[in-house]
Amino acid sequence: MISLLLISPLILLAALGAVWKARPVHAALLLALALALVAVLYLSVGADFIGLVQFMVYVGGVAILIVFALLITRPGDEAEEVARRPRSLALGFACVAPVLGMLLYAFSQGLPLSTADEANPALPVQALGMELFENSVPAVLAVGVLLTAVLIGAALFARDPGTKPEPPASR
Amino acid sequence: MTPLPLLLTLSALLFVLGLLAVLTRRNAILVLVGIELMLNAANLNFIAFWRYGPPDVDLTGPLFVLFSIAIAAAEAAVGLAIILMNFRRTRSTDLNRLDSLHG
Repeated sequence: MISLLLISPLILLAALGAVWKARPVHAALLLALALALVAVLYLSVGADFIGLVQFMVYVGGVAILIVFALLITRPGDEAEEVARRPRSLALGFACVAPVLGMLLYAFSQGLPLSTADEANPALPVQALGMELFENSVPAVLAVGVLLTAVLIGAALFARDPGTKPEPPASR
Repeated sequence: MTPLPLLLTLSALLFVLGLLAVLTRRNAILVLVGIELMLNAANLNFIAFWRYGPPDVDLTGPLFVLFSIAIAAAEAAVGLAIILMNFRRTRSTDLNRLDSLHG
């Protein structure tokens, strides 16, 4: 519980920085920090495997992908972005405040009564593996097909259409 | 405050911050940053309800999080590939300039 109280504000601060910062690279790096802190939170609530997966996929994969995409694209007019940021944030906050109110109201009304301080047992990795590869095999296969399709699709999208692949050498 | 309301409040705030990024950013890559924050908020809810919810629940929450992380990685890869493809055409990642389908 103490670790939750320590990590939660840090996650919120990092996420706030990712939203607030006008410079794109700063925002992406703060996103990586927020994702890493969420992984630490998973570790601290006993979902060790999920925390490690979050660390590898989100921090090691998605956040770095975003940083690389920012590095190879040209940033827009940063001065203009800095100038218009306060106004757009104020307008955006006016739009999202009702959403936040609705979410908090729903949580306050709908929480199950049986929530107690004592937690359910920590994540048993062996049981999770059995569940994945015994009862959820179709879903695992579907995710495999999806990831393969994404791999091919992303490579096709990102390919420079100006360069044609070399024809195979004739024998 | 018990852990469940704390985690749910954290997840609601994280979701709202992600939504704020999606609504206010012009750079398409930074809109993806907001989407990742929103996905993380949803994952946090799954873990919170699995760990601190009613007793003797099965492993559906962590399973959903695993699949959600895999699909989020796929979404980020395709999204960035589309953004790069568009950048090659328009030399910009500004969403306001994506108007070629405009009649």
